[in-house]
Amino acid sequence: MTTETDPRDAITIKDVSKFYRDQVALAGLSLSVPEGSVFGLLGENGAGKTTTLQILLGLIRADSGSARVLDLDPAKDGLEVRRRVGYVPELPALYDWMTVSEIGWFAAGFHPEPGVGPSAFQTRYADLIKSFDLPPRRKIKALSKGMRAKVSLSLALASAPPLLILDEPTSGLDTMVRREFLESMVDLAANGRTVLLSSHQIAEVERVASHVAFLHRGKLLLAEPLEDLKARTFLLAITFQSRDHATAPPTNLPLELIDAADAPRQAHWLVRARDRSACEAVRNLPGVESVSIESPRLEDIYVGYMRSRRPDPGPKASAVNVA
Amino acid sequence: MILIDLSESDGRPIYGRISDRIKFAIAGEVLRPGELAPSVRELSKQLVVNPNTVARAYRDLQAEGLLEPVRGTGLQVAAGALEKCRTARSVHVRERLRAAIDEARGTGLDPAEIEAILRDEWDKASAAESPAGKGDER
Repeated sequence: MTTETDPRDAITIKDVSKFYRDQVALAGLSLSVPEGSVFGLLGENGAGKTTTLQILLGLIRADSGSARVLDLDPAKDGLEVRRRVGYVPELPALYDWMTVSEIGWFAAGFHPEPGVGPSAFQTRYADLIKSFDLPPRRKIKALSKGMRAKVSLSLALASAPPLLILDEPTSGLDTMVRREFLESMVDLAANGRTVLLSSHQIAEVERVASHVAFLHRGKLLLAEPLEDLKARTFLLAITFQSRDHATAPPTNLPLELIDAADAPRQAHWLVRARDRSACEAVRNLPGVESVSIESPRLEDIYVGYMRSRRPDPGPKASAVNVA
Repeated sequence: MILIDLSESDGRPIYGRISDRIKFAIAGEVLRPGELAPSVRELSKQLVVNPNTVARAYRDLQAEGLLEPVRGTGLQVAAGALEKCRTARSVHVRERLRAAIDEARGTGLDPAEIEAILRDEWDKASAAESPAGKGDER
């Protein structure tokens, strides 16, 4: 649930909608990002992830609804939001003709700090590019894609932001650069900072995130601590005695069906349940020969939610399409 | 500093795999009673996992009496941890082998054939490993 003025939330989004002509980008999205979380925003291309992040940064305006970022309204104080939030866009726009160190000096001008001016930013930037092994005198246009991404991350981190927003930070990067990005996120989290990232790398999100949200066609399917999601989602692999078998758990069981796959004498039910023992009841259903209860990976959970393509986030098992 | 490998994924949650690995490190005397376990920060960065995940594993290890806080500097391996971790290690191996046996039996293969495969694989694994074995650091 979203509470409007919870001081422990770095970001709150309330009922935000956004349209591009007749296309719905966001349809009444509400979401809270707790302080200190590493929050992974997952969804297909076109689900509304980038639109959400751009509204939070005040780069575009929502058509309705409201957002708060570090207790600021990005629609009114976009400039201040962008000063206080570190942002790594999917395609970093950097001045090609500057060198790695010049662009740090240039960005420092926008981040003066009380007492010390831009020098604190510059010192941190110099440390960051050193740790990322970036050549300070090389021009941006002569950098590889991975190096550009690291310049963008260094610029975002050099202001020591309380909140870092990354839009598909690791897409198209090689393994080593991805690793460095992930290490930086983990490091920020260890310092109590907040990280919001959108990503298609679900296995990566599973490792570094504390919270996840699934977005589908501009709507929220789910948002919760990753640990809770994983502790309450189960894959039931069931073998039946006959070919003619149930295609969903009976509604009197405390199981919410997310997605189902059927075969003769077999079914896979991806369900949400209080705990593993709540799933055990399936063993006693008529016609059931054997059941294995597994804890699916985040990727399997994600695929299950996306495949079931629920028209609304609200409805339960009844609205699920069984293949 | 110890090195922990999380690559093998058996469906266990990450915090469970971390606490297992710490237990095996203690059982193998890579980490000895009185020595400090890596800090949450250090280990989360090394493994590239959320610090909360490492903290959760450490909470479990503390609850089991294997790690104990030491005057604000971190967590050290508790005095009786070696015995407990050796037991935990055999329990873990027993459970994993038991699961493999159950799976093998579930396929309906003849038990004698399963036993033959087991012996065969054991011989292969023993031949592949050098006689020095693993686990001894010095």
